[in-house]
Amino acid sequence: MKSWPGNLALHNESLFNAVLSTLDMAVFEREEDSAEFRLQGLPPDWWHLWVGPANGTVLDLGQCSPFLRDYLVGAHPIWEGQSGATEKSGPWTEPDRQGGTMTLEATALLIGSKKLLLIERLGSGFEEMGAIVQRARERMLAEERTAKSYRKTETRLISELEASERTKDDALALLQHLGLAALVLDERGHITFASDRGLEILGMTAEAVIGQEWEQALPLHKQDRVPIRELIDTASDPRKTCVARIEGPRPRWVEIEVHGDPRHPGRHIVIVHDRTELHALRRVLNEQASFHDLVGKSPTMLRTYQLVRDVAQVDTTVLIEGETGTGKELIARAIHSCSGRKHKPFIAANCAGLTDSILTSQLFGHKRGAFTGAVNDQQGLFEAAEGGTLFLDEIGDIPPQVQTALLRVLQEKEITRLGEAKPRKVDVRVVAATHHNLSEDVVRGSFRADLLYRIRIARVQLPPLRERREDIPLLAQSFLGQICTATGKTIERLNPDTLRLLMSHAWPGNVRELKSAIEFAVISCKAKEVLPIDLPPEINNAPVVPSSSVWIPLPNRDEKSRFLAALSDAKGNRTEAARRLGVSRATFYRRLVELDIDPR
Amino acid sequence: MMQKKVCMLGGFAVGKTSLVRRFVSNVFSEHYHTTIGVTVEKKSVKIDDRDVTLVLWDLYGEDEFQRVRDSYLRGSSGYILVMDGTRRATLDTALALRQTAMRTVGTVPFIAIINKADVRSEWEIDERAIEQLREQGWTVLFGSAKLGQGVEELFVTLATQIVQTSPIPSDSL
Ligand SMILES: Nc1nc2c(ncn2[C@@H]2O[C@H](COP(=O)(O)OP(=O)(O)OP(=O)(O)O)[C@@H](O)[C@H]2O)c(=O)[nH]1
Ligand SMILES: [Mg+2]
Repeated sequence: MKSWPGNLALHNESLFNAVLSTLDMAVFEREEDSAEFRLQGLPPDWWHLWVGPANGTVLDLGQCSPFLRDYLVGAHPIWEGQSGATEKSGPWTEPDRQGGTMTLEATALLIGSKKLLLIERLGSGFEEMGAIVQRARERMLAEERTAKSYRKTETRLISELEASERTKDDALALLQHLGLAALVLDERGHITFASDRGLEILGMTAEAVIGQEWEQALPLHKQDRVPIRELIDTASDPRKTCVARIEGPRPRWVEIEVHGDPRHPGRHIVIVHDRTELHALRRVLNEQASFHDLVGKSPTMLRTYQLVRDVAQVDTTVLIEGETGTGKELIARAIHSCSGRKHKPFIAANCAGLTDSILTSQLFGHKRGAFTGAVNDQQGLFEAAEGGTLFLDEIGDIPPQVQTALLRVLQEKEITRLGEAKPRKVDVRVVAATHHNLSEDVVRGSFRADLLYRIRIARVQLPPLRERREDIPLLAQSFLGQICTATGKTIERLNPDTLRLLMSHAWPGNVRELKSAIEFAVISCKAKEVLPIDLPPEINNAPVVPSSSVWIPLPNRDEKSRFLAALSDAKGNRTEAARRLGVSRATFYRRLVELDIDPR
Repeated sequence: MMQKKVCMLGGFAVGKTSLVRRFVSNVFSEHYHTTIGVTVEKKSVKIDDRDVTLVLWDLYGEDEFQRVRDSYLRGSSGYILVMDGTRRATLDTALALRQTAMRTVGTVPFIAIINKADVRSEWEIDERAIEQLREQGWTVLFGSAKLGQGVEELFVTLATQIVQTSPIPSDSL
């Protein structure tokens, strides 16, 4: 195409038309000095489909198509330039007169001085190219959609992961904030999580526990692991807990709760409560529950213990008042043990049922030959108790002459042995006890008022057992332990029904009666726990008094029949009868007289 | 009568043809038929009581198969950069085409439209990116050729800007 002969159309018009129709092109020559174009030769078939029926051969092509008009403006440099230059318009689409479209492309060229414009219809080659592009783009769109859905899934997963991480973080923060000590165990019992507080209680670092088997990791006693293992195996009941001791430089007592992880069967959440403080408090309380050999933590007993401590600090005479069997001698011993005299002797004397002279000689001693049978010089209990404490039980029973002598001893702090003239200095603290109302005895004239005031400088009143029933379980358990140790029997506990009977009994013989009832029961008991049947019949068969009701003392008539029954049960053996009644032998004798019972 | 050449520019399948067809003939097709070359459509709008004929050059989408010829852009009074909200990459194509347009036609009015607002939940072009375009002085509209949303507004806004920047009424070719 480099150089066409300028007069090709003129020389061989038929050849020229044949070429044009084969190439399917319309060829125009631009008219000089006008915007019009002259059609060269015959137009191709499609030409009329586009521009309509031919009206002449000179056309304003810019009117035919806005695209072409733009292009013709741009084509000017070609026609002004060198011969042989061409420029293509690029494809454009025009509607045809049959409702379809056709894609055309124009080429401007300069041949010699002729400014030519070729317009061709892009045919099958172009359509093929279009189809390829279409397919490629559709493919790219589909791939983009797939990639996008992957990205979306990924984003969703990431955000779900983040959300669950956040939830986990929140839960952890909450856990830490609440100071909850928690461990999480996986199906194999390995620790997968431990809260800060949990680590603190265990006294361990996360590195030391995470991933470890709990039994290996936790500093627990072997026997404490058993109940924890049981809790883990039966984690369905979260109310069950067990107590364990964490060993280490700072030992702790913990209460352990195990929950099944609701979302992961087989995994467990272990909640650890620090009970160290509680345990310490309980221990203090338990220590308070007994005082020297006294047992009980009822408010009245706690007050009594304090009173004993206070009284022990001063060196005055003390009067202990309380019913028989309430433990008056134990109080006296406690006073002695708490006092500055504790390393010196404690001597107890029962003043009941002794004659004038025997008691005088017992208390103050005698000189050889002072009376028949006084074969040696003998020091009395006052001298024996030198520097310590002399406990005079049943002081209300002292005959009048001895009362006078005693008063002098207390005032002068000296005694005179029977048969001697020269008094001896003594340093003895006297603690007296009585089940009498001594004020009444003073009124009746059987007790010296001045002696009463002398001995009652300090006063400890012991409550009867029925007024501190809450101590009964503690006392009973304590006696059970003591008696089992002494007898070698292994009885673990009191059956609840047994305890209920003990709680509702009136206990006229007080703690002593309770102790002998437990002794009786231990002997009868054949099982690991004390059953009601093991108790003495008067307790076992007694109608159950609701524990809240007030105990009414038995009238004397009933007491007399109880004494008689006890004597007959004991086949006349008074010591045994007294034991069965839970009273001391001295009291037993005294009551026999008072109740006018003939022991035979 | 004033005639203004406006080019539709953008990546392939962003909805250039759909926007033009919605605006000119108020039709829409789900079917994708890629444009090869150029299709020129006309539609008149009234701006400030003046009739303006927009000569809309619906160009093929630019991609690795077809680069937009500078010659197609020549003589444009304004252009529309079309993006597909659901495809982030069409924003990059729009940015590149903006450079081409600056080079060939200079600072004529243009409007960017993020098409396919009917599927907003699937959009990948986020607020942050849109904000950045606006910071560069772009007018960014949202629209949907499918629902016809924002289409009229798009062309009228551009026509108004074109009229305002070339106020001589004799500007008809
Ligand atoms: N959902 C939705 N789809 C649309 C919208 N506009 C266009 N489409 C679809 O997007 C695809 C491409 O639309 P076209 O208008 O052909 O896109 P184009 O930009 O002209 O594409 P090329 O000519 O290939 O560059 C078609 O399947 C349309 O149906 C819209 O607003 N919403
Ligand atoms: Mg198109």
